Amino acid sequence: MRLSVEAGRADPITPQLALLRLLHLADSALPIGAVPHSFGLESLVDAGLLTPPVVYKFLAAYLEEAGVLDAVFCRAAFLLGGEHEFCRSRWVQINDRLSAMKPARESRVASSGLGARLLALVLGIIESPRVRDAIETSHEAHSVIHHSAAFGFAGGVLGIGLEETVSAFLHQSITSLVSACQRLMPLGQTEATRMIWDLKPAMLVTVDRSRQFTPETVPCFLPLLDWGAMEHPALTTRLFVS
Amino acid sequence: MITEAVVRANATIPSRTEHVRAALELDFRRTERGTELFCSQQQPPLRVVRTFPLDDGGALGHLHNVSGGLLGGDELTLRVHVGEHARVQLTTTGATRIYRRRAEAGPAVQINEISVAPGGLLEYVPDQIIPFAESRFRQQTTIHLGEGAGLFWWEVLTPGREAGGELFAYEGVEMKTDIFAEQRPIACEHVCLEPARHDYSSVARMGEYRYWASFYICRRGIAPKDWRSAEDNLRDVAAQMADPGEVRWGVSTLVADGLAIRCLARRGHELFAALRTLWSEAKLMLYGREAIPPRKVN
Repeated sequence: MRLSVEAGRADPITPQLALLRLLHLADSALPIGAVPHSFGLESLVDAGLLTPPVVYKFLAAYLEEAGVLDAVFCRAAFLLGGEHEFCRSRWVQINDRLSAMKPARESRVASSGLGARLLALVLGIIESPRVRDAIETSHEAHSVIHHSAAFGFAGGVLGIGLEETVSAFLHQSITSLVSACQRLMPLGQTEATRMIWDLKPAMLVTVDRSRQFTPETVPCFLPLLDWGAMEHPALTTRLFVS
Repeated sequence: MITEAVVRANATIPSRTEHVRAALELDFRRTERGTELFCSQQQPPLRVVRTFPLDDGGALGHLHNVSGGLLGGDELTLRVHVGEHARVQLTTTGATRIYRRRAEAGPAVQINEISVAPGGLLEYVPDQIIPFAESRFRQQTTIHLGEGAGLFWWEVLTPGREAGGELFAYEGVEMKTDIFAEQRPIACEHVCLEPARHDYSSVARMGEYRYWASFYICRRGIAPKDWRSAEDNLRDVAAQMADPGEVRWGVSTLVADGLAIRCLARRGHELFAALRTLWSEAKLMLYGREAIPPRKVN
């Protein structure tokens, strides 16, 4: 049986149920195909630039730049998902802008693949005209659905808290990158877990910073990671798709 | 040559303490004689003295800033319209210097508003930007490309006056570039560097590199599969010029209608030669002819 959820008239959900749904969406085991993507990390490791001692510093910088960027788009999409009237043009606009802000093809395609599969999965488990509308709108506009936007949008539709949704997105992004690092370099389970644990305050700072920007004003400067993502197709042996 | 030019110079010369708000407006059109500059509004310190005809029928213009650079509080606007099937190359006469900011002054602001009409081509190949110690620079560029329009647009940011030991001693550099195909964004870049707040030696940011270059190559109407081929070709060209300890090049297709190239380098001296090589290769692929470098490099 599928649940029926619609923004503005959702079945009342308790905070505990909202938490469980959020944990579910942010679970790295969610079947949307996130595992084979390194978003450029593989090239940095291959070039000897990213090594276990600098991973923590790398992720901290990542949060300050790409983390804020994704958080801003996640926040903007959350508001669209939760608003009484769905603004289709704005939905296309923010996804198009995020596409234009991702200069590396593989990372851009990875993000849009994850986003499309996430919303399709949500539509597969709940009956939501709003989610269906978002998917159809993107398709008709020859646009895409990016992961951060899809995650935020789903949070808005499902009536999960805004700050919690953005925080969870960042948490699962960092968890995913650390997981990629573990497959690319000698990074042990305990060290990996400690990193994610220690970065949680930085994630909350990122969530807080994201409030001061809109999709049109948020900056992002990660040139070496951009280089890694652009160079990834040239690697002779690849473990990851991006 | 500037044909039928209308030059309206601002007669008032600002004093040292006044902030300058000035605009340079250039309107290029294709005529039977080639591309000509028809209407130019020039306010000091911005000037284009004359244009030079290029062998391919295009026009080359040198952008002058007669004050030598941008001061804190200055707001300079460059508006360029490239008419249908006109071909324009713009460069600078030297590096864009961003001077140290007085305590009470705002950032030095450069606004670029660019439009390229159907079939037109703009090649914007300036010298580097040098933000001096304690300077603050903000640039906002908006580019609209019509059907079939082309663009080569690069910018190079240095760490400062490196020869004098100034490395990332500026307060801030913010550069925002939005490129639209009709109303749809195809490239949006917004970088904000504040060296006192962030560590740019992080592997996510610049690592051991100090120079950063961004190069957009666009031509509307080319099929996505052809852009993928162009990406592969230019990546091969860039790989021949790469030296991991000194310079790294990345090439990728944009979401549509173009390519983005990124460069990180430890030093700047060979960067422009490599940019010109990529420019020429790309022009050969997209237009069937090599780029004509500005006379200053011949």
